[in-house]
Amino acid sequence: MDFAQILEEYGQNYATAIMQTLSMTALCFCLAMVISILITVMRVSPIKPLRLVGDLYVQIFRNIPGVALLVLVAYALPNIQIVLPWKTCVEVTVVLLASAFGSENFMTGINAIGVGQIEAARSIGLTFTQTMRKIVIPQALRSAVLPMTNLLIATMLTTALGSQVPLNPQELTGLVSYITTRSTGAGIVPFIISAVCYAGMSVLLGVLGNRIDKKVRVLR
Amino acid sequence: MSAHTMSMRDALYEAPGPRTKRLTVIGTIVSLALVCVGLALVVRQFYVTGQLDAKYWAFFARPTTWLYLLNGFVGTVKVAAMAAVISLVLGVLLMLARTSGIKPLAFVARVIIDFFRGVPSLLLIYFFYLGLPTVGIRMSPFWMITIPVALAASGVLAEVFRAGVNAVPKGQTEAALSIGLTPGKTMFKIVLPQALRIVIPSLISQLVVVVKDTTVAYVVSYPDLMQNGRVLITTNDAVVSVYLVTAVIYILVNYAINQLSISMARRSGNPIISRTTENPT
Repeated sequence: MDFAQILEEYGQNYATAIMQTLSMTALCFCLAMVISILITVMRVSPIKPLRLVGDLYVQIFRNIPGVALLVLVAYALPNIQIVLPWKTCVEVTVVLLASAFGSENFMTGINAIGVGQIEAARSIGLTFTQTMRKIVIPQALRSAVLPMTNLLIATMLTTALGSQVPLNPQELTGLVSYITTRSTGAGIVPFIISAVCYAGMSVLLGVLGNRIDKKVRVLR
Repeated sequence: MSAHTMSMRDALYEAPGPRTKRLTVIGTIVSLALVCVGLALVVRQFYVTGQLDAKYWAFFARPTTWLYLLNGFVGTVKVAAMAAVISLVLGVLLMLARTSGIKPLAFVARVIIDFFRGVPSLLLIYFFYLGLPTVGIRMSPFWMITIPVALAASGVLAEVFRAGVNAVPKGQTEAALSIGLTPGKTMFKIVLPQALRIVIPSLISQLVVVVKDTTVAYVVSYPDLMQNGRVLITTNDAVVSVYLVTAVIYILVNYAINQLSISMARRSGNPIISRTTENPT
């Protein structure tokens, strides 16, 4: 089958698959941002158990392979009577993974500020809240733009885990294995279409993040 | 990173007064209690659903179980090691092409790098497993998992190497050229050896990504740790315990690799360059 035939027969499927990949990416990334902020707050709080839980969370989910986590969520959890829809399983997995890396990005951003600035802020009489609001958070957010762009791209690539469970509709990777198993003559064209979609979206997101970063970067 | 983290974490707060100290103690007790309640709920859920029954855990007392998992782990190590070697070579080649100064070559290298960085490794694996056989290219399961994992890593590694080359002071290149070395000799004798040393911590941390990518070896039925875990699940009819144990093994291995990378980075003073820290374009 050549390019035109594939597009004619599966064009609609590709359109829905792109939407599925993108919507899962957007949802997962937003949730991951919220959770990574929470985890980061826990990790910088003066309360030891919260710090420990935050550190443990990050170490677990940045070191576990995506598939190992997905099978736990999708196939182990039902055994302890937690049954989630397939799509939710993938989303939970992606959010857990992405939020660990997100928190690492925020921590790196906070660390880059330097103790001197905090001491300076305190010595001119800023309160803790003022130091956080005026010094720490703005800088941490600005220096996180580039790493977060990379995380957004990585989140999109991680949604390919959806190919490991029966999703309906399928995302870009699952669709390819569906087409190849269904039409034996499809060859490598379906792969190329999906790959170009992924790579194109990655480059696009990268360029966008780079532009934002140039505008808000803190020069040190 | 943790030593640095601690100092910045602690620098955020002034020395606490008596009121803050009291609040911190209360917060500690409350949060500790919450953590304990959470843990107890998890254990209770395991208990009431019968997942703590001996039949799900007893086979972990048999040496054969661990031998089988060890076998799988050896498979994981083989794939990861081979993929790491291939991606190192490819990464250096792609970086050399991209920084060669020859416009068409640099452009092609850039497209290849962006392609492999922008495509999920799962899609590459499916390409080698389902796509290539349709055009008559067949290979063993080992290569069907190793090559795509290596390709996915090579794109990132090329960028890591490039960052390493850029980190070598410009004066080195200028000095080498001024004493009459050719640009090629300057790269291979002066810049590259130093760049390699700079990126060692980054290369080690990239190994984590490679190990993670190998976990989908079950797609091509290659017996790695995850695949052998899945076999254990069918033979012992125990899903939760086996998946939990395999996950913990992966976490510990990757944690160890990460810690090694961090300690090497701290000792050498070279930063860890990864997918997250590098420029996305």
